[in-house]
Amino acid sequence: MIRIAAVGDVHFAEDTEGQLAPYWSRLADHADVFLLVGDLTNIGSPAQARALAKELSVVEIPMVAVLGNHDYHADDPGAVRSALEDVGVIVLEGSAVTLRVGERTLGIAGVKGFGGGFPGACGHAFGEPEMKAFMRLTERSATQLERALGELAVDYRVALTHYAPVKDTLAGERLEIFPFLGAFQLAEAIDRAGADLAIHGHAHHGTERGMTPRGVPVRNVAMPLLRRPYGLYCLDASGRHAMDTEARETCATMGE
Amino acid sequence: MDLEYQYLVARLQEAFARDERLSSLDIKVVLTGNRIHLIGEVPTELRRAAADEIAHGIAPGVPVRNELRVLALDEAHGPEDIG
Repeated sequence: MIRIAAVGDVHFAEDTEGQLAPYWSRLADHADVFLLVGDLTNIGSPAQARALAKELSVVEIPMVAVLGNHDYHADDPGAVRSALEDVGVIVLEGSAVTLRVGERTLGIAGVKGFGGGFPGACGHAFGEPEMKAFMRLTERSATQLERALGELAVDYRVALTHYAPVKDTLAGERLEIFPFLGAFQLAEAIDRAGADLAIHGHAHHGTERGMTPRGVPVRNVAMPLLRRPYGLYCLDASGRHAMDTEARETCATMGE
Repeated sequence: MDLEYQYLVARLQEAFARDERLSSLDIKVVLTGNRIHLIGEVPTELRRAAADEIAHGIAPGVPVRNELRVLALDEAHGPEDIG
């Protein structure tokens, strides 16, 4: 069993200092790994990145992150990445990492992703250069995610994105903005490569639970949606279906 | 509601996104009569106040009802088994 804590869209800035550390400092009691799915800062300024890094410095379990669109706003995502890496966060962008958790290995592949929409109402790399560039970024992200997932030889695989791979987890958002919230190409990549769980953020007014067309569970962990400092998810003992009794009991009592 | 008021919604939302005191993309703006309603949640009281100031700056003299709430977090609760 692997216990995953995950959150995104904390939109951290100087005015939120001290709000999350009291929760995050106890993460080791509940989870084996902490996954962060972007929009970790509000505008991606170096000052906000430093404030966030200080807040995360209390976390005692491995941390893995992707950045989100807000982390790019100040045109210096490298500063956000560096600040996070300074406190031990592994930042993924079209890449993957393998962690050992007890006797098991957990592989995490991550990419920020981008928009474009979902079948029947999506953009295409057609027409103006700007439209082609928009959709090619989405396609490139999906390709990178598929490759990163595919290269993992582990017991469990998790896909991390900021943008949503499915529209299930956007239910509650205005239909008109779905193409700005996610893209089906990300789900297609996850389904092709295979994963045990896909986690994203970005959709503050969406829905926590969804599924890719091939049945990979998808969880939207945007903090304004969760209304808690992180979501907790247990992958079963085999990484597929069977969870032994002891693991199930541990999982059931873990959040108490 | 006159035409200017309809464009005002877009102007306010653009300002909420661009003003770095707030940088929010999801504050709902509703106009009723000649009053602006700000609806949604923000992480802090400072950002709630900033939204108010920004709205007054964009639409001087128009009454603003700030219905934004500060997000209150619950403790993390029990885990979900992913099958």
